Amino acid sequence: MKIPVTLKVNGETYDLVIAPYRTLLDVLREELQLTGSKKGCDVGDCGACTVLLDGKPVNACLVLAATVQDSDILTIEGLAQNGKLHPLQEAFIKEGAVQCGFCIPGILMSLKALLDENPSPTGEEVKAAMAGNLCRCTGYSKMFKAVESATSGLGR
Amino acid sequence: MGFELLQPRSLAEALEMKKSYGEEAKVLAGGTDFLVLLKDQKLKAEVVMSLRGIRELNFIRHEEGKGVTLGALATHGAVAASAIIRQRFPDLAEACAQVGAVQVQNLGTVGGNLCNASPAADAAPPLLLMDASLILASARGERRISIHDFFQGPRRTVLQADEILKEIFIPQIPGRRGATYLKLGRRKAMEIAIVGIGVAIHLNGSDQVVSDCRIALGSVAPTPLRARHGEEILRNQEIRDELIEEAAEVAAEEASPISDVRASREYRLDMIRVLCRRAIPAALASARGNKVEGLS
Repeated sequence: MKIPVTLKVNGETYDLVIAPYRTLLDVLREELQLTGSKKGCDVGDCGACTVLLDGKPVNACLVLAATVQDSDILTIEGLAQNGKLHPLQEAFIKEGAVQCGFCIPGILMSLKALLDENPSPTGEEVKAAMAGNLCRCTGYSKMFKAVESATSGLGR
Repeated sequence: MGFELLQPRSLAEALEMKKSYGEEAKVLAGGTDFLVLLKDQKLKAEVVMSLRGIRELNFIRHEEGKGVTLGALATHGAVAASAIIRQRFPDLAEACAQVGAVQVQNLGTVGGNLCNASPAADAAPPLLLMDASLILASARGERRISIHDFFQGPRRTVLQADEILKEIFIPQIPGRRGATYLKLGRRKAMEIAIVGIGVAIHLNGSDQVVSDCRIALGSVAPTPLRARHGEEILRNQEIRDELIEEAAEVAAEEASPISDVRASREYRLDMIRVLCRRAIPAALASARGNKVEGLS
């Protein structure tokens, strides 16, 4: 049986009627067509589905959509503001930190949450923030470089 | 995985629902284990009751001279970030910071970690060290039980069909306490412990003589457990390398690990000894560095 569910995603309110067992990830991708959040493992291991729930990174595949109606949800589609890319996105492009790109939306959301709390993280803090995000291209070095470039840019 | 979803807004409402549905209503807190089990069809549920909307269960409360209470919905992330937990119960903060990774810590709850009753639950060894108690609530009323009596076996607890874990209470611990939790995995993040060890050292007056030593083991028996014979070796003693060695040997004898996909029985036994030899001096150093008397 389907139930009415209201979600606040990227500042917009969506009224939906969905089955109660559907995950936030499936609803984002299939109902809202917000396909930036990726489905990798679907069991919370890979981090490709990372979104921010009230500012904190979570695995959207491990959340039932119907249980987060009170929360503000931010996905990769909401990271750019007024057509202007987030400094992290700019830095990822500038440093060539993207290879296949599948893990990048999740990684950017993890890093955004980190920088919101801690604008000048140490290398270890960046690694800890990204520990739940897997990149199968193993392109981590350039991502670390991009974070460095973004944080020095943010400081100016 | 079709199911009916119950979303109580208060504990009272949840307890009424649990009273009428009983065992049929599976309780969902953070979901980081629960939803994986459902997706893998290792758990079948007709009715799922999500606790997420019950704000009164989401808190960490410190009462000076009494202790710290964690609401059932306190997440690993919130516990690991709590100033009072980091200062006074570093072993619990360390354990919570080693569950999965950030995303899992922000969803998963300490209460859910205990109720799942995995032998590898990271939060369990520190709470065993602290002699924490659990408040179990039902429409019939509340009961308080020691964490030592909570686990019955892998994925089995004493929770009755109509009961919900409401709070975890960590009592005041007298003297100066130092503690650590060491987790062995193949990598740092997204791991289930091959062996997890918590050690707490209590000093009372003297920096040399240990007034109490507590050792808790995870992933090496059907439930997390205290290595009480190993503890005896160090209690009221001046800690020397030979005693640490002996305590590590005895602690390993108290475990009954199995061989599984993550490690063999023999390796786990060996690692208990290794981790004890590391954790005991670390806990002692932490106790000596702690100048606060009468921790709570």
